Amino acid sequence: MTGRSQQVRLAEGLARQGHVAPAVNACYQALRIDESDPFVHCLLAELMLSGDFYDEAISAASRAIELDPECAPAYLALGLAYDRRGGMWDRSILVWHELAEVVPDLVTAHVQLGEAFAAAAFEEEAIDAWRRALELDPSEARAMYNLAVAALKREGMATALPGFRKAGELDPSQDDLFFSLAGVYDDGEEAPDPADVPPDRKSRIAAAYGLAFEEDYFAAAELIRLILDEDADDAEALGLASYLYLKQEAANEAMACALRALTISTRTPTAVYCLGVAFARRQGLARHAARVFSALAKAVPDEPMPHVLLAESLLALQRFSAARESYLTAVALDPACVRARFGLAAVLFTEGRHAEADWEIRRAAYHDTRRQGLFWALYDEYAEGRS
Amino acid sequence: MADDDAARLYQAFVSQDPATAISVIEQARDGGMDQGALFDTLFAPAMALLGGAWASGAIDEYTFTQASVVAEQITSFATPPATAQDTGITVLVGSMHRDHHTIDKDIIAAALKDAGHRVIDLGADVRPSEFLERAEETGARIVLVSAQMMATARAVARVREMFAAAGRDDMLLLVSGGPFAADPALAREVGANGVARGAESALKLVARIARDRLGAGERP
Repeated sequence: MTGRSQQVRLAEGLARQGHVAPAVNACYQALRIDESDPFVHCLLAELMLSGDFYDEAISAASRAIELDPECAPAYLALGLAYDRRGGMWDRSILVWHELAEVVPDLVTAHVQLGEAFAAAAFEEEAIDAWRRALELDPSEARAMYNLAVAALKREGMATALPGFRKAGELDPSQDDLFFSLAGVYDDGEEAPDPADVPPDRKSRIAAAYGLAFEEDYFAAAELIRLILDEDADDAEALGLASYLYLKQEAANEAMACALRALTISTRTPTAVYCLGVAFARRQGLARHAARVFSALAKAVPDEPMPHVLLAESLLALQRFSAARESYLTAVALDPACVRARFGLAAVLFTEGRHAEADWEIRRAAYHDTRRQGLFWALYDEYAEGRS
Repeated sequence: MADDDAARLYQAFVSQDPATAISVIEQARDGGMDQGALFDTLFAPAMALLGGAWASGAIDEYTFTQASVVAEQITSFATPPATAQDTGITVLVGSMHRDHHTIDKDIIAAALKDAGHRVIDLGADVRPSEFLERAEETGARIVLVSAQMMATARAVARVREMFAAAGRDDMLLLVSGGPFAADPALAREVGANGVARGAESALKLVARIARDRLGAGERP
């Protein structure tokens, strides 16, 4: 069999647009025409998974794999259904193993495999799987969070914390906070060429934020220099300079700029953020970082990330119950915040609440895998391979 | 005075002179400034001066970077100690005989160690006699026994019996684990002095014991 029938394409189109119920109907109609089409079963599995009908997703994905053992998107749906349902780790391990063989460079398969191993108490195998995920993609934050939790279980919080921080730096949501504090949002427009920026403060700072957003730190720094040459007491420019230094791992320069900015104006949230991050990177300054992030969390109470950053500082101070409260606030503000979920899991482990901790890790995986939208990438690849 | 010191420290950064920077900090400490206050009253203002000098162009990028390197070199002199000071309190930690669950025990042991306590981790599957032997060897007065199964939790009573038989009624027995969290009466039944419901709880218990005992002139 090659390609997809018109009915399958209809179901697929509806599913891609998020019209779940009509897509499910279209799938059943397609099955009436051809029950042995793996595409339909696979689509049905994804649709059931998106509605959190795990048993139905398992059944549909299993049928797709029966019909075609090379059907990678069905393995993904099956593995995720097992994991989200819970309590089926033995089967989950087999599925992720299989998917990792069918698509060896699929990072998520290794991350999920590790989590399935960990849930089944195969800690060494779990660590190997997460390390493999990081070999494939060094910026895979969830693998790093999991390694940090593994370190916590073996050697306690002091060993685990650097892992949490490292994972946090891989997680783009922390940078999003900085730009949100600056009132800068992605408008889809490219940042201008520094040479074309009009020579006024407003244009320069806007362009510098845009360039920083696009990670062109040197060009952003050039514009900041021009602003400071005209007014050395521009607190906002100093706040952005501090961020640029942080991104280049220059914590002391960042601290100097942030402190100077706050000397000029304590109402510079970007500088407060940068100062907290610079403090958090220094051993012995966890109390200072907690103080700064606490102020930031009060200043922007509806942003989840300051609560996460505060919680991480509290972890360093071994104030686990206070950290739990901050993480809970962050999770309430953003249930999909993977970093907060892992942090909360860590706190729950320190309290011996393993089942709740494992649940938080599963919720983190749930939100992370939903965000990734991997199914369609694998589906399209699979469809291409069969056409 | 503190402003002058901060200015001198800043000058030492810019002159790339770590020895002078250290001596400014030492002098402030000798002058009665608390270690905890050094960072806020000396280091941070000096760093703010450095940021201001860079912003105004009084120092160039290269000098800024080099000054930051000096600041890095001497940070530890101005920051509170990264590790807690030794409390002198020894805590024996172990999982009960026939109990191989170690996660809670390891997390608690690490937290106690980070707080400056002297932790002796006996590992998993520790016999009651071993708790007594190691307590005798080390002079520890606090023993924390972890048990995650009902049978092993009940068996913690044998640790208390072992201490009693050896005339060591002064030993403070703490317990941790699911069965004790679920049934508070169980801890009393096995003769425990307290239940650690996690790392923070263990820290508070040991701190309270230390405070009470130290108040009575004893060192646990």
